[in-house]
Amino acid sequence: MSNIVEADNLTVTFRARGGGSFLFERGSRMINAVDNASFRVREGESFGLAGETGSGKSTIARVLVGLYRPRSGSIKLLGKEINFRRKEDIAYLRRNVGIVFQDPVGSLNPRSKVREIFAEALLASKAFARRDFGSRIETMIEIVGLRKSSIEAYPRELSGGEKQRVSLARALVVPRKLLVLDEPTSSLDVSIQAQVLNTLRKLKSELQLSFLFITHDINVIKYMSNSLGILYYGKLVEVGKTVDVVTNPKHPYTKKLMANVPNLKRAERKQEVLSEQGPAPTGCIYSKVCPEAFEKCVNPPPMFSLGSDRFAACHLYDGNGTRKEQLRSHPAG
Amino acid sequence: MDYATVDGRVRVLENVALRVKKGEIIGVVGESGSGKTTLGLAIIGLLDSPPADIIDGSIVFEGHDMRKMNPVEISRFRGTGIGMVFQESLAALNPVYKTEAQLRESIEVLRKAQKLDLTPSTEANMMIEILKDLRLDKPEVVLRKYPHELSGGMRQRISIAMAIVEKPRLLILDEVTTGLDVYIQNRMLNILKDLNRRTGTTMILITHDLTVASQICDKLYVMYAGRLMEEGKSEDVINAPIHPYTQKLMAAIPQGFIDSPPLPAPTGEAPDLRRLPTGCKFHPRCPFVMDKCAQNEPPPLELADGRRVSCWLVEKK
Repeated sequence: MSNIVEADNLTVTFRARGGGSFLFERGSRMINAVDNASFRVREGESFGLAGETGSGKSTIARVLVGLYRPRSGSIKLLGKEINFRRKEDIAYLRRNVGIVFQDPVGSLNPRSKVREIFAEALLASKAFARRDFGSRIETMIEIVGLRKSSIEAYPRELSGGEKQRVSLARALVVPRKLLVLDEPTSSLDVSIQAQVLNTLRKLKSELQLSFLFITHDINVIKYMSNSLGILYYGKLVEVGKTVDVVTNPKHPYTKKLMANVPNLKRAERKQEVLSEQGPAPTGCIYSKVCPEAFEKCVNPPPMFSLGSDRFAACHLYDGNGTRKEQLRSHPAG
Repeated sequence: MDYATVDGRVRVLENVALRVKKGEIIGVVGESGSGKTTLGLAIIGLLDSPPADIIDGSIVFEGHDMRKMNPVEISRFRGTGIGMVFQESLAALNPVYKTEAQLRESIEVLRKAQKLDLTPSTEANMMIEILKDLRLDKPEVVLRKYPHELSGGMRQRISIAMAIVEKPRLLILDEVTTGLDVYIQNRMLNILKDLNRRTGTTMILITHDLTVASQICDKLYVMYAGRLMEEGKSEDVINAPIHPYTQKLMAAIPQGFIDSPPLPAPTGEAPDLRRLPTGCKFHPRCPFVMDKCAQNEPPPLELADGRRVSCWLVEKK
């Protein structure tokens, strides 16, 4: 099976404006939104990224459609290394990767009819002749399960679920290899979420798509991904097959995360909750709150390979894993 | 609390009856447009009239019929009697006030209502205590922050702090965990449960998320198209949902891995309140629909243990 995406040591940095903490000069703080992340999206598979708000999930999504430029590391799409400084490479990314954002209201132009929204995407891609636009739009409307009449509707005339289907159809109106789904159902009611998730799974097999599926909802990501990466403050702390990561988490943070998955049938909640304390400034990013932290954790852990495509960035696995050397392109902080 | 039928030009709530006992946490669960927020606003007397109009029914709080009171009398209950926290924490907080000023406003309400004599230092202590109760780190720092400088979870707790600093006997929480990620959500639910245990504050938790409601509520009310479909003790409703709508709502929550079958989601969407179907409002989406369901609306049927279900299937059993 070939890889659709190969991301290696991906680092994305933002400059934080003003209000720097006492350790840093005002206005000159650099934040690693994504720090040395490596992952693969395999052909025909769905790779999930889970993490809390601010863990860098959306940043990775945006890099993949060329909205952000990584500071270091490499991204290969369909075997081709992307140079984020070349316009042609960005165009290549956008041709092959579709994206659906969380907020269907904000991502659809309120003054365009659905037909115009699609036409805009089709015009930009040049994949279809203008005379074929109509039939292509109709096909997509049907595939995502929208009523034919919605073609002439404005976004405001559609329900939340319908709007998200429009976003989905727009992302796919130009044939794609990879679909990046950034919290695609988080703003929807559960029954509508279920319908959209079913549609997504159907589309994935019918159109032979690969997904990068991003959500903080473990129940959803479990249901929607083959492999899973767990992000904590920009650091990919664990990667593996979804079933392994969910049922047998290795990294202490993943363990805590899985213990917090809401479950209908659990009558009494566990009192233990995730700490809101920020990341540790040095060493392992989780060491400040980690219940299993020990001396070694003052140094940032490399990714240890635990076999069967399983990786964990944790010193606990130093003895039983093989060290996967990491290129630290610049000091943390 | 009793019947409330609220009318704009559309009937938003029909024959909804809630009974909340002192110290209980009840959950009102429903999808968008089911009328749950309207219900919350009706209870606290914040529905603007016009356009809203309560056609029939009563809202009784601690023995007082709120609908027979004039606005001045109602406002005496608001805040210190009944408090409400809204979903949009950014909109609920004044953007040009620091946390301290927002909280002081609420303390002022309490001071006037209970004719308390509060020194500035007592007030400051109250603020710090309440923020500590809500498990906010460094409350002294938070007090000096503007809403935009705080995260969503922190802002939501400030809105809750503003409500509980007035020591309401009933707290209405409208989608307070929505938009927060699961971890912060868990934390909020723990805080609320803890508050309820320590102070005995009665709570009405309004949410679209059955999982959230099931975590802390003693009783659940499931709403659809402005009607109550099912009510009962939380564990009863969750372990053995009777109404097909409740069953569908639970089945829609993903449980399995990627190789599991498609989710048995209900088809279609919730009806437009201006064009409600005849009979049972859920019948066009119901997998067990019978002829009867399209003709007559099922009345709530009382079962054991405070369980009530509005469905013609139940009558048959």
